[in-house]
Amino acid sequence: MKDLARYCLGGMLALLLIGNVTAQTGLDEHSAHASSDVVRPRPPENATPEERRAFYQKRAAERVKAGGGGDPVAALARTAPGNATLDTAPVKRTQDKSTPAKPEEPARASGRPAGMGMAMRGGGPLWLSDSPPSRGDGAARGGMGGMMGMGGMAMGGERGGAPSKRLWLRAGSDPQKSGFAREDGEAINETLIVRPQGPIEGEALPPPVDGKKNLLFDMPVQGYYRVYASSRKLQGEVLNVSVAKAEISNFGHGGDEEERAQALVAPRVLESAPIEIVREKAPDEKTFFQLKSGDEQAFVVLQKGLPLQGARVRFVSHEGWSKEAVSDEQGRVNFQIIRDYFPPWDDFKKRFKASYLVIAEANAAEQGMFKDMPYSSVRYQTTLSGNYYPSPNDYRSYAWGLGIGLLIVLFCGTAVYLYRRRRLKPFREVRFDER
Amino acid sequence: MSAKPVLDKVRDVVNEVDFNRFRFWFQLVAFVLFVYGGYLAIDLGSKLPFFSCGYNREGRAGVCYLLPLQHQLGRPLAMLFSMASLAILTGFLTFVLWFIVLNKGWCGFVCPLGTLQDWISALRRRMGIRFSNYTQGQFAQLTKIKFVLLALMILIPLGVGGGIFSRDMSPPFCLICPARMILPMFTGDFSQFTVDFSSKTAIFMTALGISITALFLVGSFVKKRFFCFFCPMSALHYLISKPALLKLKKDGSKCTRCGDCYAVCDMEIKEIADDVKTTDIMTDDCTLCLKCVASCPESGALKATFAGIPIFVSTEAGFIKRMNKGCQHGK
Repeated sequence: MKDLARYCLGGMLALLLIGNVTAQTGLDEHSAHASSDVVRPRPPENATPEERRAFYQKRAAERVKAGGGGDPVAALARTAPGNATLDTAPVKRTQDKSTPAKPEEPARASGRPAGMGMAMRGGGPLWLSDSPPSRGDGAARGGMGGMMGMGGMAMGGERGGAPSKRLWLRAGSDPQKSGFAREDGEAINETLIVRPQGPIEGEALPPPVDGKKNLLFDMPVQGYYRVYASSRKLQGEVLNVSVAKAEISNFGHGGDEEERAQALVAPRVLESAPIEIVREKAPDEKTFFQLKSGDEQAFVVLQKGLPLQGARVRFVSHEGWSKEAVSDEQGRVNFQIIRDYFPPWDDFKKRFKASYLVIAEANAAEQGMFKDMPYSSVRYQTTLSGNYYPSPNDYRSYAWGLGIGLLIVLFCGTAVYLYRRRRLKPFREVRFDER
Repeated sequence: MSAKPVLDKVRDVVNEVDFNRFRFWFQLVAFVLFVYGGYLAIDLGSKLPFFSCGYNREGRAGVCYLLPLQHQLGRPLAMLFSMASLAILTGFLTFVLWFIVLNKGWCGFVCPLGTLQDWISALRRRMGIRFSNYTQGQFAQLTKIKFVLLALMILIPLGVGGGIFSRDMSPPFCLICPARMILPMFTGDFSQFTVDFSSKTAIFMTALGISITALFLVGSFVKKRFFCFFCPMSALHYLISKPALLKLKKDGSKCTRCGDCYAVCDMEIKEIADDVKTTDIMTDDCTLCLKCVASCPESGALKATFAGIPIFVSTEAGFIKRMNKGCQHGK
C-alpha cells in the first residue's frame, strides 16, 4: 500500500509537472501573440525630453479622439465586434509571470482614462465581493462551502434561521488586492437588492451601520438574490455611471420544490439598471452550479434591460490575468476561465475558491444635468464578480482508476480460477470385486 | 357469478405464475425507471430505500437515502444538535414510509445494483460456470460486516462534522459503493472511474472505491448477490422492518424440510429451510425476492403477505407448473 501511495504521488507529481509546463507554454504563446498584436508607437531613441513629451501628448490626443479608450488592445477590439467570442483569440497578459506585481491599477480619477479607460473612484472599478480585502479568498469556508452563494460561497446567518449574506464594496481591478471602496461625497450612491419573491424593480438595501463596511441581508427563500451598488459622479463634462453587481444563489437540498423551480426560471435582469452584466446560465445548469477552471462562460451586457453592443468587457482572473472582448449585437461575450491556481501539490485544495471579476464599459454621447451641472457624455461601467474552482481534470486520473480496477479484476479472477482448479478432484474409478 | 370464485381464480393465477419471468420483467422495468427515469423528468425524491444512485446525475429518478443521510450527519456538530436536525428526522421518517411498503422487497425487486448482480449471475449460468457458496462458518462471520459498515457509515460523517476526519472522507459509504461507479456508466458517465489525487485521504477513498467495484464485478460473477451480504442499507432495513407491510411468513407445520427453498436462495439463508418454529421468517440477509415461496412444493408452507393479506402463497400446483416450465426451458 505504501508503495502504491508512493507511485500514486509520483505519477501525480509527473502529471502536475506536465500540466504546469503545458499551461505555462500556452500562456507564454498567448502572451507573445498578444504583444505582437499591439504595437505601440514610440518616440525616436535620440529624442530630447521635450520631443518625447510632445510625442506622448500627441499620441494621447489621438487616442482620445479615436474613442476615449486608453488601451490599444481595447481599441483594437472595438474595431472588431464580431470577435466578441474570443475562444481562439489570444489571452492578453497584463503582467509578466516572472514578476510578482499584479496588473497595474487604472490611473487615479484625474479625468485621464487608463486601463479600461475609466476609473469611477480612486482605486479602480467598484465591485461587490463576498470577502473583505483583509481576508481574501481561498479554500471554501464552513460546512456549507461549495453549496451556495456566488458560485459556491458559504453563507452566514443564525443557526436554524434564514441564511444571510455579507457583501463588501471594493475598488480595483484585482480580485485579490482590491481594497475597500472609498467614500466619495461628490457621488450619488444607491444600493438595491432584488429578491426572488420581491418586487422586480428591487428594494433599497440599507447602508452598513455601526462603522461596518459590509452590506448584510437575509435570504429567507430559495433563488437568486441580486445586489446592485450604483454610483453617479460628474467629472468635468463627463457623467460617470458605475454599477457593481453581485448575484448570490441560495438553494438547499430540501425546501419547497415549486419555489426552487420558480427561482430557476425567474428573470435575472433589472430593467432599470443603467448597465449590468448577466452571467449566462448553461442549458443544463443545476442549482448547485460551480464554475471550474477551463469552463467556457458567457456574459451578457445589458443597458436598461436591452443588449448592449460594442461594450468593452474585461475578465480578470483570481491571479490577475485578464482578457478583453467586445460585446456582440446580443450584448454577449464569451470567456474561457483559465487555470491560474498552481500551489505546491501538498497545499493544493480542490475546493479552492478563486474570485473572478468582469468589468464592462461603454461610452454614450448623452447630454443632461447632474446636480445642476451639465454633462455632454456618459461613461458607463459595470462589474460582476463570482467564483470558480479547480477543474476535476486537474486532480483526477482515469488512467489510475481504470488501471487499479483492471488489476484487481485480473488478480481476483485469476485467484478464483486457480482456487477452483485446485479443489477439483480428478475422476477416479473404483472397482469392486463382487465375488 | 359470485365474487369468491373469481377471487379464488385470481389467487390461483397469481400462485401459479411463472415467477422468474415476472421477477425478471419487474426488475427490468424498475432498473430502467431508476437509472433512466431522470430523462423523463421523474423525480421520486432523495429518500429512496435502495441504490438509486445520486451520482447518476442525469438519469436518476430519485436518490438513495444513504447519500443525504451521510451529508446531514456530516454537518458541524453545533448545527447537528440544533433545530436543523429536524430535517434529519423528517428525512428518516420519509425513508421509513417508503421502506415499509415493500420491506426488503426493495432489494429483491427494485434495487438497480441487486438487479445488476442477478444479470451477472444469469450471464455466468449461461456460460456454464458454477457458482460459489460460503461455508456456514464463513456465512456467520460475513453476515456481520453489513452492520459494521452501517455503524461506520454513521460514525464517520459524525467525525467529519466534528473535525476528526477529513471532508474528503465524506460521504464514506458512497465513496466505496460500487453503485457510484457502475450506475452512472449506464448513462455514459464514466467520471467516477477516477482516482482523486487532491489529498491522501481522497487517494485512499477513491482507490478503495474502485477496488471494491472491481471486487463487486468478480464477486457477483461467482457468487449470487455477492454485495448484498455487505450492504449497510440491508442492515438498516432489517433494523426497521418490524412495521413493514410486506412480510414473508412460514407455517412450520406444513414444512417437510425438503430444502428446496434453501437451494434456490441467493443469499444462502439456511433458516428458511430449517426453522419450523418462526412464522415471520425474514432474516437480516433476506432480500425478499420470494424465490423460496415459488420453489416450495407444500401448499401454504411459505407465503408473502401484504398488510396481513396473503398475496403469493406456495402451492403444489404452482410448484409443478413452474417445475414443468423449468424442464421445458431446460430443453
